[in-house]
Amino acid sequence: MSFVLAAEQLQFAEALHDQLAAADVPAVARQWAAGDRKRGQALWYSLAEAGVAALAVPQRWDGLGAHPADLVIACEELGHHAMPGPIAESLAAVPTLLAVLAGTDEPAADERIAGWLRQLAAGDLIATIAWPPLLPYAADAQLAGLVLVAGPDWVKLAEPGPGLRSVQAGRSLSIVTGKELLAHGAAAAIQQAFEFGVLAGAAQLLGAGRALLDCATAHAVQRTQFGSPIGSFQAVKHQLANVLIALEFGRPLLLAAAVALADDPAGAARDVSAAKVACTDAARLAARVALQVHGAIGYTAEHDLSLWLTLVRAVGPAWGSQRWHRARVLAALAGGS
Amino acid sequence: MNIVVLMKQVPDTWSERTLRAADNTLDRDAADAVMNELDEYAIEEGLRLTEAHGGEVTIVSMGPEKATESIRKALSMGADKAVHVSDEALHGSDALVTSAVLAKVLERAGFDLVILGSESTDARTGVLAAMLAERLGVPQLTFASKVDIDGSAIAIHRLADYGYDTVEGTLPAVVSVVEKINEPRYPSFKGIMAAKKKPVETLTVADLGIDPAQVGLAASATEVVEWAKRPPRAAGVVVTDDGDGGTKAAEFLASRKFI
Repeated sequence: MSFVLAAEQLQFAEALHDQLAAADVPAVARQWAAGDRKRGQALWYSLAEAGVAALAVPQRWDGLGAHPADLVIACEELGHHAMPGPIAESLAAVPTLLAVLAGTDEPAADERIAGWLRQLAAGDLIATIAWPPLLPYAADAQLAGLVLVAGPDWVKLAEPGPGLRSVQAGRSLSIVTGKELLAHGAAAAIQQAFEFGVLAGAAQLLGAGRALLDCATAHAVQRTQFGSPIGSFQAVKHQLANVLIALEFGRPLLLAAAVALADDPAGAARDVSAAKVACTDAARLAARVALQVHGAIGYTAEHDLSLWLTLVRAVGPAWGSQRWHRARVLAALAGGS
Repeated sequence: MNIVVLMKQVPDTWSERTLRAADNTLDRDAADAVMNELDEYAIEEGLRLTEAHGGEVTIVSMGPEKATESIRKALSMGADKAVHVSDEALHGSDALVTSAVLAKVLERAGFDLVILGSESTDARTGVLAAMLAERLGVPQLTFASKVDIDGSAIAIHRLADYGYDTVEGTLPAVVSVVEKINEPRYPSFKGIMAAKKKPVETLTVADLGIDPAQVGLAASATEVVEWAKRPPRAAGVVVTDDGDGGTKAAEFLASRKFI
């Protein structure tokens, strides 16, 4: 059994990195935050052409039916470039949910669901979801063509209330009201969708953490104080090394969670939660250290660092708090599973 | 239409590039290897032409074993198959020798159109298209910023300082492209997975019926005799504005022929 990413997976990550670097995502994110989403939506569409939006959609519905590890790679790269939008929702949770609801029969039990899956894969549809109380708000519901709300075992089409401002500029959070019932007796499907959302969010955070470390390291080499680059002082470099260690320890847990989800979505709770805890902690450490290393410039909205700092603040608590995920790991360990 | 795109793996322009002290050839281990940037445009043009006119795109690359990574990338972008000429004997070949080897490959593979980047970012000779056309006895249409094909007629816009010339020819032909021609696509997930199954033929010099003594550093007509590292960047000139800053800036621009 091989525990490293395949050459093709590394190539996929590299291709996405090149594409996002060329697209100048920080500028796109700033326009997005200012209410101009044209470039952001065009980028979303071209990412869909690269396959990003089709990873979690089964091949039956024009998707790629990719391995969860491929989804991790994509979401990490999106976080690495601070790509705005409901990433964990639209790329992971909703397609996973709809794929289970659509079933394996041909034609689909619900042709409408099959249609949404096809649109999601093509990048023509952006979707979001709320699952109170764990996921109380639907992110970016204003720009989503499909808004869902899930309960313990039901899924409804939802109408978003007014968007509340998030700490991340351009991101909105909506309390949603359930309308038409889409499915009931769907507890397993909802649980699986949640796990995929957690996985994608954790990957996004790990990518953001990596970007924060890149920024801080670059700054530490350029900025001089007392005649030397500040990165040459132990007080700075040890902090940066600690961030790298935290990120490097998060990645294996993330990939292990992806493998666990592929093998047995129902039994992956422990691994998914462990990954979320480690990646969120690592990203938060990266954010704190990057802010400190940058000094006062890091506090300014004009510096791109702010895009990742606020992304980590916003996505960190989504998809279950650290306390909730730690409790789930504990319960799994104590239960002997 | 049978399109062959020539692709070269080069050291990354952004990394520190150097020559080997032993034989003054490129030190390929000193820098990250990437696909020559202009070749991405050549591949993109080949793909667009086959999408419009049918046919397939074959990648031909000459280089060490490591070049397979760049060949994979070309196949992920959508090329159909590849030929990789890899042989220790080729080490240090100059443009003349390279063109002789590639001409053999092209004669063997057959082609309606050969597309290549107008130069590589490492050697920057920019002569390969002309040499190949001469060796193959077909028209050369170089520095293309636009390619139109109608039956067996081909017309390009050749980029020039004053705009462009229209150059016409008949197929088969050799076309070199500039970066204005298109915007290369990024490999998609599907493309990357599909590339795994695409055929890559690896050839040695002997497979092409070439005498190993006729290629490589010793057989090359050109030789790097001496080289020096690029001097460190000189400090800029600081102009204090005593009311004549604008004039001084204009003088500087005029001295560089910008105005």
